[in-house]
Amino acid sequence: MRRLWIKEFRLAASPLSYLFLIAACMTLLPGYPILMGAFFICLGLFQSFQNAREANDTLYTVLLPVRKTDFVRAKYAFVCTIQGIGFLLCAALTAVRMTVLSGGTAYVENALMNPSPVYLAAVLLIFAAFNVLFVGGFFRTAYKMGAPFLMFGIAALLLITIAEALHHFPGLGFLNTTQGERLGLQFYILLAAAAVYGILTLLSCHSSRKRFERIDL
Amino acid sequence: MQVLEVSNLTKRYPAFLLDSVSFSLEKGHIMGFIGRNGAGKTTTLKSIFNLVHPDSGEVRCFGLEMRENEREVKQRVGFAGGAVDYYKHKKIRDIIDVTRSFYANWDESEYRHYLSLFSLDESKTPLQLSEGMRVKLSLTLSLSHHAELLILDEPTSGLDPVSRAELLDVFLYLKNRGVSILFSTHITTDLEKCADDIAYIAKGRLIHTGSLRAFLEESAANGIGASLEDIMVYHEKERLL
Repeated sequence: MRRLWIKEFRLAASPLSYLFLIAACMTLLPGYPILMGAFFICLGLFQSFQNAREANDTLYTVLLPVRKTDFVRAKYAFVCTIQGIGFLLCAALTAVRMTVLSGGTAYVENALMNPSPVYLAAVLLIFAAFNVLFVGGFFRTAYKMGAPFLMFGIAALLLITIAEALHHFPGLGFLNTTQGERLGLQFYILLAAAAVYGILTLLSCHSSRKRFERIDL
Repeated sequence: MQVLEVSNLTKRYPAFLLDSVSFSLEKGHIMGFIGRNGAGKTTTLKSIFNLVHPDSGEVRCFGLEMRENEREVKQRVGFAGGAVDYYKHKKIRDIIDVTRSFYANWDESEYRHYLSLFSLDESKTPLQLSEGMRVKLSLTLSLSHHAELLILDEPTSGLDPVSRAELLDVFLYLKNRGVSILFSTHITTDLEKCADDIAYIAKGRLIHTGSLRAFLEESAANGIGASLEDIMVYHEKERLL
């Protein structure tokens, strides 16, 4: 499995998957829907899938001495690695914005979502949507990726809209706070989102392996 | 000893049925897999290597059930579906660097030997190679991990006559080392030069499998034809009438 994971980076990945990790820096933008950064990280991953399909990566991989379904696990491992790096970058920049940059006027007057544990939870939910709708959808055929990415795009925009709107509702203002006692509750939300991400990704991987085993290449 | 046993392999498509195909290959034998375009050769070969999911039937390599022992079997089998058709923009060196790490028996000196024999340049990309050279690269990959069984889909089709002759010599050399080879081809004269056995498939059904010499003698005795080409034309023409 480790060798297949390395193969993903050395042969199948598009440089855009790494380049689009820079989108995590959107965490620092005031007056901007910062969750778009998570969407762009997924767009970078989409480029790798496209790159791999054009390079006939599926055929190459299944000819190697691996189980056919190991190909699926390697793809999920690659996706989770890039998402993990993206999440760590978002978390680090969230910490910076919540501490050393917390007094900046532009940040104090920000009407949109602030970087916080709830923001990081939403990042994880967008990543989970990508793994279920796009990666899971791709493995229905192992070559069609337009419709799965469209489905993910719609879901991501809905998630971003909901995340940006929720804290404006009465009683939900704590979702956008960056300090105070209610911050603890935000960490529970982050933990719950991490669990959702893990469970949905595992379920998606499991069903993709079953589907891929029956696909004729 | 049988290195490959295919039993009742069946695959149903909307417009095609691979109908209960069964044959076996002995250690150190070369088997030619012949049939017209669309007869089911590629579907059979892909089903053997688990690229196509058959509806029923069993494939055993070295006595091991293929699906249950996919990793172990693939270490000992080389599959080349014609020319290298992947990572066309990557340097061959980079592709090989990754590929060799998967094989416990990768032999670097053997790899260098075939690179030199086939005049392949590692610093090129597959895109910069002709079809024939990409077939040779595909074979080099299969031969460099000491595969005991080679499954090759139309390996000679893109090659010039000299390269084809060289490749058939390689097959005979490998056979003498105990390697078994199953290859599909349209070029029946290639088979007559090197094959011990044949499997002949028509419209998804295996119509003959066994010794090539016995098949040729029997067909000649029955007035069907003295060469594989004559025999194929006889059988397929009869079907058209």
